[in-house]
Amino acid sequence: MENKPTRPNSYLALAIISTILCCLPAGIVSIIYSTKVNSLYEDGNYAEAERASKNAKTWGIVSVALALLIYIVIFAIYGIAIFAAIANGDF
Amino acid sequence: MATSRLRLFLYIIIAILLISAVSLYFFVNPSSEEIQLFPKCPFYSFTGLYCPGCGSQRAIHDILNGHFIEGLRHNYLFILLGFVLGYEALTFIRLTLFKKETYNVIHTSKFTIMVLVIVLVFWLLRNLPLYPFTELAP
Repeated sequence: MENKPTRPNSYLALAIISTILCCLPAGIVSIIYSTKVNSLYEDGNYAEAERASKNAKTWGIVSVALALLIYIVIFAIYGIAIFAAIANGDF
Repeated sequence: MATSRLRLFLYIIIAILLISAVSLYFFVNPSSEEIQLFPKCPFYSFTGLYCPGCGSQRAIHDILNGHFIEGLRHNYLFILLGFVLGYEALTFIRLTLFKKETYNVIHTSKFTIMVLVIVLVFWLLRNLPLYPFTELAP
């Protein structure tokens, strides 16, 4: 009986969240790696599966972080615009 | 010790961000003309094509306000997201509270490949300007 290591996390939930909520191609890349994690694991390529798992996590986090950055920049711009409007007495 | 404290700090920040985002999306309608607070999808702005995530801001607003059907019609991928998150939560609860292993469909290669295909096909179809597919557009 072969000693099976535990299945690496495929981060599928993170990948779907980043695809739906961040609409960046990085989310799709993350889903592709999630797919590779499970099929490589089932084929017995445990080291490769482990690497794909790390990639899925990285791409998922990159996608979420990028979206977060875009949001923060946009809200900062709005914040400045609103303060400027208040200062000008437009409100 | 330091790492666990850092982790707690990170969780608190994520919780604060989530709560403020949820309340923002609850009160402000992303499709309103007066308050254009939320950013438009960068992919849509550049290419004029919808991405798999387009409509999710409107969907979140509608779902938070209890309009589930309207919300889902903005982005049908929320059904998939709900299924995956629900299944993972159920697996986690069964393992931690009842010490029972669940056969996890999500961790099979068939399911993940299916998700990839669904997302890609959904992406393609929602950009077709023909009748049954226009329903998929945000």
